[in-house]
Amino acid sequence: MPYTWRFDVVWDYRAVFERGAIVTAELTGGALLGLVLGLVLGMAKGSRLPILRIPATVYVEFFRSTPTLVQLVWIYYSLPILTGLQLSGILAVMVGLGLNAAAYFAEIFRAGIASIDRGQMYAAQSIGMRYSQAMRRIILPQAIRRMVPPFMNEVANLIKLTTLASVLAVAELLHESQNLITNTFRPLEVYTTLAITFAAIIFPIIYLSRRLEYAWGAHS
Amino acid sequence: MMAEAMIRVVDLHKRYGTHEVLRGIDLEIHGGEVLVVVGPSGSGKSTLLRCLNFLEEYDRGDIWFDGALVGYRTLANGRRVRERESTLAALRARIGMVFQNFNLFPHKTVLENVIEGPTIVQRKSLAEARDLALELLGKVGLTQKAGVYPSTLSGGQQQRAAIARALAMRPEAMLFDEPTSALDPELVGEVLDVMKKLATEGMTMVVVTHEMGFAREVADRVVMMDDGVVVESASPAEIFTRPSHPRTAAFLGKVLHG
Repeated sequence: MPYTWRFDVVWDYRAVFERGAIVTAELTGGALLGLVLGLVLGMAKGSRLPILRIPATVYVEFFRSTPTLVQLVWIYYSLPILTGLQLSGILAVMVGLGLNAAAYFAEIFRAGIASIDRGQMYAAQSIGMRYSQAMRRIILPQAIRRMVPPFMNEVANLIKLTTLASVLAVAELLHESQNLITNTFRPLEVYTTLAITFAAIIFPIIYLSRRLEYAWGAHS
Repeated sequence: MMAEAMIRVVDLHKRYGTHEVLRGIDLEIHGGEVLVVVGPSGSGKSTLLRCLNFLEEYDRGDIWFDGALVGYRTLANGRRVRERESTLAALRARIGMVFQNFNLFPHKTVLENVIEGPTIVQRKSLAEARDLALELLGKVGLTQKAGVYPSTLSGGQQQRAAIARALAMRPEAMLFDEPTSALDPELVGEVLDVMKKLATEGMTMVVVTHEMGFAREVADRVVMMDDGVVVESASPAEIFTRPSHPRTAAFLGKVLHG
């Protein structure tokens, strides 16, 4: 007997996807706070001083080499045992993904800064700029343009990683979808819709990245 | 007795790992003097130049600029420590530098490149910095190019813009690190012309170059470096007609006659 697709069932529950998408967006937004930590880590990792470079490297490699799912579960279940600090599911995911994303952002920042020719720093310093001024006004504006494509890539990954929040019973898209499946017995339609919803969120980001790259390609 | 030198280098040493790039350099540059440094590649010329404004740290010896030690301060116990960043920056602001690869800021227009130092470092008003920048761009023949990005310029134009950027700080001395080596041959002249004009105006200049014509015509003194030491220092007339050191003779023979 051929399978009959019933997307009309999913359509009836479209509010569930809207609700889930909002939670997914919140999780992503929270995790993007990892950007600040990533910038600090990235500068530290590129530093000449071992006291900055080594801890930053350990941090980055630890988060890159352990499963993100385990990191989230650990923050949610182990942190309260060790410190008495019990985060809500949604906060645990924001913190966990933020710390995780910071490791990847750090690498993007470090590589972006390292890709700028040394002569730019020399030139900036030769007209009397301090290191921090040269970084802010000369190096970073150029490096950021090169960081945009890998950064957008990482944001797209981050959005998809928010689905891991479902294991902590956070009502993001995947969790909402799974609930819906138990109600409707329509896993194929629900998962297909879930995929389309993610594509609808992520594709505009990738498109924007392309446009930025194109616009900035003009004079650099 | 002669006046105190503007830049005085005493027994300067610098190593990268195990490779000793500078092995005891002594040098004096007086105000208004044009010193041309020549020598084979790898002889330490560029490293010496970058030590003068402390873009590179040096390991041993002294560099004095206008009576003050460059880059380090001496503690009560006689140990040397690196100067604070603000002090280093203030020193570098007084010494202009022009690089082999121009190193213009590609995300800024020519005018923005030139006003960057005056507005950000010297905190001049935008109007004042603009007036100065346009005057200097006029001087290097780039008035028409003020609003464009460096990538649209020829190499010669980029280097002239870089000279204007350095001059905008009203430096007391200018360092030129092989300013024409990255240029197509037909563009070399326009950059050298600007440098000659500066020399006639009395700018103190230290120029690392392979342009022997420039050295002969403009230099007050030519210094020949080889393998991290100064092998000879003389007037251009002397060094080009009767070099006293065989290594100078060999080097000049090669660059002058191919």
